Amino acid sequence: MIEIKGLHKSYHMGSNSLHVLKGINFNVKEGELVAIMGSSGSGKSTLLNILGMLDSLDEGEYILDGVPIKNLNETKAANYRNKFLGFIFQSFNLINYKSAWENVALPLYYQGVNRKERKERAVKHLASVGLEPWIDHLPSELSGGQKQRVAIARALAAEPKVMLADEPTGALDSKTSYEVMDLIQKINDQGKTILVVTHEDDIAQMCKRVVHLKDGLIVEDTLVNQVRASEHV
Amino acid sequence: MFSRDLWSEIFHSIRSNKLRTFLTGFSVAWGIFILVLLLASVDGMQNGFMKQFGDDATNSIIVFPSTTTKPYGGFEKGRRIQLDNEDVDFIKRSFPGYYEYISPRISKSVDARHLSERGNYTINAVNPENIFIEKVTIDKGRFINGSDMRNTSKVVVMGTVVAQELFKQEDPIGKNVVLNGLSYKVVGVFSDDGNERSERNMYTPITTLQRLYSNTTDVDRISLTYNPTFNYAEAINFSDIIEKSLKRRLIIDPDDQGALYINNYAEGFADVANFTGMLSMISIAIGVLILIAGIVGIGNILVFIIKERTKEIGVRKALGAKPFDVIKLVLMESVIITSISGLGGMVFAMGLVSLISPIVDAPAFSNPSVDNATVITSTIVLIVAGLLAGLIPAVKAAKVKPIVALRAD
Repeated sequence: MIEIKGLHKSYHMGSNSLHVLKGINFNVKEGELVAIMGSSGSGKSTLLNILGMLDSLDEGEYILDGVPIKNLNETKAANYRNKFLGFIFQSFNLINYKSAWENVALPLYYQGVNRKERKERAVKHLASVGLEPWIDHLPSELSGGQKQRVAIARALAAEPKVMLADEPTGALDSKTSYEVMDLIQKINDQGKTILVVTHEDDIAQMCKRVVHLKDGLIVEDTLVNQVRASEHV
Repeated sequence: MFSRDLWSEIFHSIRSNKLRTFLTGFSVAWGIFILVLLLASVDGMQNGFMKQFGDDATNSIIVFPSTTTKPYGGFEKGRRIQLDNEDVDFIKRSFPGYYEYISPRISKSVDARHLSERGNYTINAVNPENIFIEKVTIDKGRFINGSDMRNTSKVVVMGTVVAQELFKQEDPIGKNVVLNGLSYKVVGVFSDDGNERSERNMYTPITTLQRLYSNTTDVDRISLTYNPTFNYAEAINFSDIIEKSLKRRLIIDPDDQGALYINNYAEGFADVANFTGMLSMISIAIGVLILIAGIVGIGNILVFIIKERTKEIGVRKALGAKPFDVIKLVLMESVIITSISGLGGMVFAMGLVSLISPIVDAPAFSNPSVDNATVITSTIVLIVAGLLAGLIPAVKAAKVKPIVALRAD
């Protein structure tokens, strides 16, 4: 599903340049649940941004579902993001003046789906994360865990190939974190490929594979025995 | 482009930011409000000036003689110049096609009497064409005609004020009125809107007065209207030619400024047109400057809004919004806020103008109003202004990098 070869990325700030990714080789097959770990500055967020086409790569190759991702202009990148990827963020990033279902329906809006169908599909996805009674609520009326579940429903809405989660539990207490991980595991069980960036070990153990980044290189890549989050809920 | 979804997106963001939308719109509404008021004021001044001209034909030229101020052709200075019928015929003969109507005139003060009512009025002896030069309206009866002229009939057409004062409720048509001891038949009553003074006058055929009083062909002055297709330069040129040829004919020094007065309305009109034209230009300039302030204000607020919504725009882009989607969102919002508030300002200003208009009727300021051209132009200007104001912020918004916007804070 994801193939990365010899990925390099540097940031230039004035006359200084910061070599963040120093040659990453990394493959993800369909249906995997991968945790990307590393201390801050290890390059894990940069890697996720490049995977998410939110940032460009300097050197190397990135193939997503057989499609080489290179020389993207903004419009093309937007199309690919919309079609291939679902994002889950640490700070949820819901639009605060839109109700839960309108937030979930937003990727569909950019696909040009009509309003009636958007609502139907948004409600279906909200129901699948257990938020059916809250479809008309604004984000400010929801708890942190509920907000993240809305965000997960939003990431699912466009039926993406890959879901990218950047510290999805970073802003949540441990009980809620496990609930969210339980949901992510269930989505993965249905065959969705998911990458989770985290620095929390217990969250990483709930994935099927853990990749450790250090100073811009992969230092460890192991399969783990998945801990089911439902046992902790 | 104008899908229902885009509208609901825009109204959503307007509704959820009522105060800033209001503040944004207010500056534009204010700009348009002032622009419309300024234009209406200029219009009012223009109306006021035009009213000063009364409602005589606006292409009138009046020739009236005085006394020479320079010796010339063997004559001493201080000679009284007298016009007569020959001079009228001379103008008719010399300038066919240049003039439209021409009429000589003698004015005389008369003591008028009907039964026990009496009063002192001015009688103007003219020919039938005069009705088109002074633009009087016949309320009853008729104006003097060619047969009156030929027969030197003792007929009068009196102003409504005269008729009212001498005849009270009675219908004066066909009745007799005694002027300086001679009996005249009333054939018509006229009114002259815009010039009530002239309604205290009477008209009689010039041939009648010439026969009765002097048995000469003298006239006091000559009124004519120039060909209405003439432009300003042609009109002025025409009165210059008349002046020159009459001075030659009457043996007056061409440089004598006092012997013959030629009053060309075109000059006064051109002055007023220049003046009000200049005022319109100035007020449009001021209005546009105020509007620019409004546009800059909107641009400023939009830039701020974009900053405030950076995260939201980043999220939208991460979810698949193309740069054009973002530009569209910002531009449409800007255009809608500008247009709606601008139209609001315009309607408010027009309401105010139409409320004030009937009350204001000072000599130099009358019936201020806003014409359709102003309304249409302002609307177009508003939409363009909205686009301009939104342009820079929209491009800025389109350039928002999702990773920067989404960086956890």
